[in-house]
Amino acid sequence: MGRLLLAEWTKLASVPRWVAAMMAAVVLTVLVGLLGAASSTSDANRYWDFAVGPDGRSVRDDFHLAHRPLAGDGSVTARVASQAGLVGELQDWARAGVILKEGLEPGSRYAAMMVTPGHGVRFQANFADEVAGGGTGARWLRLTRAGSVIDGYESVDGTAWRRVGTVDLAGLPSTVQIGLFVASPDAVQVTRQFGSVGIGGHPTAATATFDNVRVEPAGSPPGASWTDRDVGRPALEGDATERAGGFTVSGSGDLAVVPPEEDVVRLSLTGVLVGLMAVVGLGVLSITSEYKRGMIRTTFAASPRRGRVLAAKALVLGGATFVAGLVACLAAFLLAQPTLRANGYGPPAFPRASLTDGPVLRAVIGSAAVLALVAVLGLAAGAILRRSAGAITAVILLLVLPQLVAAALPVSAGRWLQRLTPSAGFAIQQTVERGLCLPEDGCFPEGPWLGFGVLCAYVAVALAVAFWLLRRRDA
Amino acid sequence: MRQALAAEWTKLRTVSSAAWLVAAVVGCTVLLGSAMTASVDTSQCPSPASCQEDTVRLVLAGVWVGQVAVVVLAVLAVTNEYDTGMIQTTLAATPRRGTVLLAKAAVVTATVLASGTTAVIGSLAAGRAILPGNGFTEANGYPPLSVTDEPTLRAAGGTVLYLGLVALLGLGLGTAVRDTAGALLGVLTLLYVAPVVAALVGDPAWQARLQKVAPMTAGLAIQATRGLERLPIGPWAGLGVLAAWAGTAMLLGAVVLQVRDA
Repeated sequence: MGRLLLAEWTKLASVPRWVAAMMAAVVLTVLVGLLGAASSTSDANRYWDFAVGPDGRSVRDDFHLAHRPLAGDGSVTARVASQAGLVGELQDWARAGVILKEGLEPGSRYAAMMVTPGHGVRFQANFADEVAGGGTGARWLRLTRAGSVIDGYESVDGTAWRRVGTVDLAGLPSTVQIGLFVASPDAVQVTRQFGSVGIGGHPTAATATFDNVRVEPAGSPPGASWTDRDVGRPALEGDATERAGGFTVSGSGDLAVVPPEEDVVRLSLTGVLVGLMAVVGLGVLSITSEYKRGMIRTTFAASPRRGRVLAAKALVLGGATFVAGLVACLAAFLLAQPTLRANGYGPPAFPRASLTDGPVLRAVIGSAAVLALVAVLGLAAGAILRRSAGAITAVILLLVLPQLVAAALPVSAGRWLQRLTPSAGFAIQQTVERGLCLPEDGCFPEGPWLGFGVLCAYVAVALAVAFWLLRRRDA
Repeated sequence: MRQALAAEWTKLRTVSSAAWLVAAVVGCTVLLGSAMTASVDTSQCPSPASCQEDTVRLVLAGVWVGQVAVVVLAVLAVTNEYDTGMIQTTLAATPRRGTVLLAKAAVVTATVLASGTTAVIGSLAAGRAILPGNGFTEANGYPPLSVTDEPTLRAAGGTVLYLGLVALLGLGLGTAVRDTAGALLGVLTLLYVAPVVAALVGDPAWQARLQKVAPMTAGLAIQATRGLERLPIGPWAGLGVLAAWAGTAMLLGAVVLQVRDA
């Protein structure tokens, strides 16, 4: 196998045109990435008016709160008896529940137990760490504080309690705010107009009735009483009224991380789409040119085990492309970031992307891997079809066309196209989870790994078919 | 010239791949157009009348794939001769190289225009059959597709012309590059990658600029029948941009053919 690898490497490296093609792939990837960065501008920072969460991310921390202070350890218990839409329909992500918050300023730390109509009971802390509890419907919710540790409990009947989540808010002051909150996010409508997707949204408000509200210890601090206010800037003003042993709270807004409008990492890796063309050509030609010149017979005479020849070719080609791709993607990312920041893609609206972040590293290395996989896909297609024209056309159609067609189709059809074609592999470049994931923005709904897996599966199947045909057919 | 035309026609006609590619132009265009049309219906819009769906463009969207077969046909018409060495025979028989290129262009373009016309008629017929079932009815403001309607005729005829120009682009680049893989990659990059990159660029002004100069997005502006004011470039101006690309490629091909040894 070592000699085979050496032979394939010699064939690859000794053809000046192929070396040139590989260099072209690198240069194109970097150049197009830079051009894309230079021609993109954002004024998001000018209109940026979100709160900053505990970990530095932009957050929405807008809701209506009926609250009172709590000194030291203790607990708050309430039953969410009902939840209803007040302005607009009741949203799946309308939240109603109990909260323990460091202070009343938006962005401060908190832990909350809540009911949502569409997603059941949730425990949430600091805009992340969302843990799902039981189902929907009327629920008893409880938060307990012991030192800096907050536990969230749920119960169906108020006697048997189950812990849903826990969080350690180190350095929590001794007096915190506890209360009942209601939030209701904007209703988003995705409709089709003028042959493309249109997004419409309007604010909503929801109301919830709480009963069996109990704070323990009740007199800590002495003289504590309930008041209510809007926290943050909800789109619609909220309200709270107290009844015997309970509250009716209505409010608007959301408690969530606001994803940046643009994925700056992916933007700097746009060039991969162009570098890819050269890589496809390289992959296909590395085998079809052997067929054209009859070299393949020499190759097979020298090593009659054809499967090994294919494996050696795939390894050498994939390895070389991966290394070249990694250089290209690293350079594109590092060179494009300063330009992007200068063009308005800077903090706070766009958190600084650094190679030490997991998702960024995944996008950069993943892009190089996509290039390598595409080269091997080209090799397999070339081995199957034995013709450059057919193989190149097929691979490019499968990789690039779905992205174009997906943007023109209705959202659901477009998403299927993004899932099922090899172009799904580009999902690995995604570092931002968007609230609204649309094919026309090049957003892949399933997250980075599934799409990458789809591309891998295509490559594996193509290689298997190529292997089977190589052994069956005369060279 | 007549002899050169006859020779080129014989060469094209007798290669089995040409027949397949012509079939692919028609088949892919009609199939993808029908599939895309079938996936869109008025229930995805706020109301059927406010949908503003450009049904003509939707029905003709199959050329996104159909054009690939055109590119392969046009590129192979010349690069295959370089691959096999046939070009030397061709040039020995017709030493005036300009004539050879003109004859090739005429034969390939005529073939593409004929298959493009079939593809467009087939797509329109499929669209007429599918659209009413998806809510695009006369009552909702979508009269049945008909070529007697001036914008529809312009879109349909323009799509055929678009395919002809794409063929010339492929032929020109093929003649200049003389290599199947290189020419194919060049044309497909020009056609497909430009619009995908344009969609990812964050600035709308730059998006519009890219869409104005990219041969595919500019050329396909000819298919628009509604909301012309929303296009980055007018229908005929867009086709003109593609014509400029095709003309430049042909000129480049002609110069290389004249200057370089075959």
